[in-house]
Amino acid sequence: MGRKILLVEDDKETAAYLAKGLTQEGHSVEQAANGQDGLFRATDGSFDLIVLDRMLPVIDGLSVLKALRAAKIQTPVLILSALASVGDRIEGLECGSDDYLTKPFSFAELLARVNALLRRREARVDPAEHRLSVGDLEIDPLSRSVRRAGKKLDLKPREYLLLEYFARNEGRVVTRTMLLEQVWDYHFDPGTNVIDVHVSRLRRKLDEGFDKPLLHTVRGAGYMLAA
Amino acid sequence: MSTTLRIALLAGLLALVSNLAVIGFIYYRTHDEAAATLRQQVMEQGKVLADVYRSGGRPALDGAIRDTMTYADPQTAVAIIGQDGGQVEGNLDAIPPSLLKSREGYRNALIRLRGQTTPHEAALTMHELAGGQWLVSGRIAGEGLAIRDTLERSLLIALVFAGLLGLLCGLILAHYVGRRIGSIARVADRISARDLTQRVPVSRADDAFDRLGRQINAMLDRISALMEELRLLTDSLAHDLRSPVSRLRSAAHAAAQASDPREQEELFGSVIRQADSLMRILTTVLEISRSEALTGRRQFAWFDVGELSNELTEMYDPLAEERSTTLVYDRPAWPVPLFGHRQLLAQAISNLIENALRYGASGGEIRVRVEPSERTIRVEVADRGPGIPPERRDEARRRFGRLDTSRSDEGAGLGLALAESIAHLHNGQLLLEDNRPGLLTVLVLPVHAERPPSSGAVQPEASAAI
Repeated sequence: MGRKILLVEDDKETAAYLAKGLTQEGHSVEQAANGQDGLFRATDGSFDLIVLDRMLPVIDGLSVLKALRAAKIQTPVLILSALASVGDRIEGLECGSDDYLTKPFSFAELLARVNALLRRREARVDPAEHRLSVGDLEIDPLSRSVRRAGKKLDLKPREYLLLEYFARNEGRVVTRTMLLEQVWDYHFDPGTNVIDVHVSRLRRKLDEGFDKPLLHTVRGAGYMLAA
Repeated sequence: MSTTLRIALLAGLLALVSNLAVIGFIYYRTHDEAAATLRQQVMEQGKVLADVYRSGGRPALDGAIRDTMTYADPQTAVAIIGQDGGQVEGNLDAIPPSLLKSREGYRNALIRLRGQTTPHEAALTMHELAGGQWLVSGRIAGEGLAIRDTLERSLLIALVFAGLLGLLCGLILAHYVGRRIGSIARVADRISARDLTQRVPVSRADDAFDRLGRQINAMLDRISALMEELRLLTDSLAHDLRSPVSRLRSAAHAAAQASDPREQEELFGSVIRQADSLMRILTTVLEISRSEALTGRRQFAWFDVGELSNELTEMYDPLAEERSTTLVYDRPAWPVPLFGHRQLLAQAISNLIENALRYGASGGEIRVRVEPSERTIRVEVADRGPGIPPERRDEARRRFGRLDTSRSDEGAGLGLALAESIAHLHNGQLLLEDNRPGLLTVLVLPVHAERPPSSGAVQPEASAAI
């Protein structure tokens, strides 16, 4: 399932490294080394995703983003930035980006977010997605009820949100920071393993008593829900 | 030109101009009124005599002149001057030579009347008669003009004195101002030369200069405190980064040396974890500086602190359970609206909760409470752990101020420092109190951080908006 990704990054090493990784995942990657070129290429709207560095020569990343959104180009944008403070992240998101990743990041984290954004694009294209199902797990977002192999699972509200987010990213790696941002809407880095504790609770309710586990740990990256 | 001289000249000039205005006014009023009256009298008298001459000719004029000399007041001057300049008749004792050159009209001249010893200033009119003779008539100006003369001279002297006095005042003033400013400038000079211990001397007079001096001193105190903090921070940053960096280095070294691929993978994983934790420390330090610089205020908005604390308590509840303690949230009865940075306050409150979980979990229960009052909101996190003795609380809130240095686990000792800087961003403060037993950490926050609590902030439909 190769997709067209525009990578706007001025640091040659980072750009080469990311382009190589994304190409290996089957995507076709076009590159731009400054904001002006990036904006020019992005305006034809043919990309499925734009990975945009925040600090760019000529025109900075946020200005490129604002210009794109002003031109009604709604291609999902993932911002990469060395500016890591909470305020910077929020500013990036408020400018119309779909996700914000601070440098340095692991490639696994970037890939997880890229896939989540591409997936979201798919979901928008196909609105007939009332029920989510992963293997023998069935989720009804309207009634917020969850069944596995026909048996109703009793989840707390936050556990449900966590599971729904996992299900919407079925088969894709979801990182701890993604969970904190998407499920709790917090943009800081907790100093404890609080997210892992929540995931392991959910896992107990989800997988205990079943032969085949659904919620997997992906070492060095995060978690994945898959049949 | 020196400032002192400029101020002195300016003061002198100002004194001169203002005195000139006053003196000019006095002069104008006195001169003008006396002169106008005199002129009118003299013109009338001259006209009467000229009319007499026109209607009755020379004999009538002679009669009128005699009558005037006999009956009019002794200040009156009247005469007919011949072609040679000699007096044909009249009461002038001496004719001023200037009169001979004159023609028709009104003028002032110095004349002596018959029987008088000194000449007097007089106003005269002249009228040409037949045969090259002239009729001169007028009045001695008398007291009015004489006073005017004296006045003019006095005023002129006064003006000179006023100018000199102004100059003197200016010099004194400039000297005083120069001295006061000089003392401030000298301190500034020494501070530029890197001696931050200098302070501006402040007298007990409490004048504008003293206030300026005090403000400068307060500013210098703040700057030295910040410099000291910065120095401590750089020192401790360098010191505290030393051990994680050396751990990172040895892990990388071991990974490079490992022969077994699985072991190598394991070791590289540890390298990345170490690098991540270093990055986290740097991010937090940056976050603290940003908060202290108050840059986050653009993102302030109304939100419910009660709800936020509830969410965070729920988030940390499983972690508390895992550490065999209970996290209790005392939910306030109403929404608690606050104007602030939701994300940063979430971080501050979670830091307090994590701090309690880390150091106070042994004592059992951890209580989170949000207590609104009229203008401030207290967000409290109370544990039953060992607490912090009062004399070490300042140390605990310092960056990298980890009290128990024997522990090398999670936490770089930045949690409370960040919470405090976020409180400062909201014009609030972080308090460390005794929970008897245990530690009570409190964020005291004004309801509206951008309006200080004293202004009595009104919240626009705050509770409805949330």
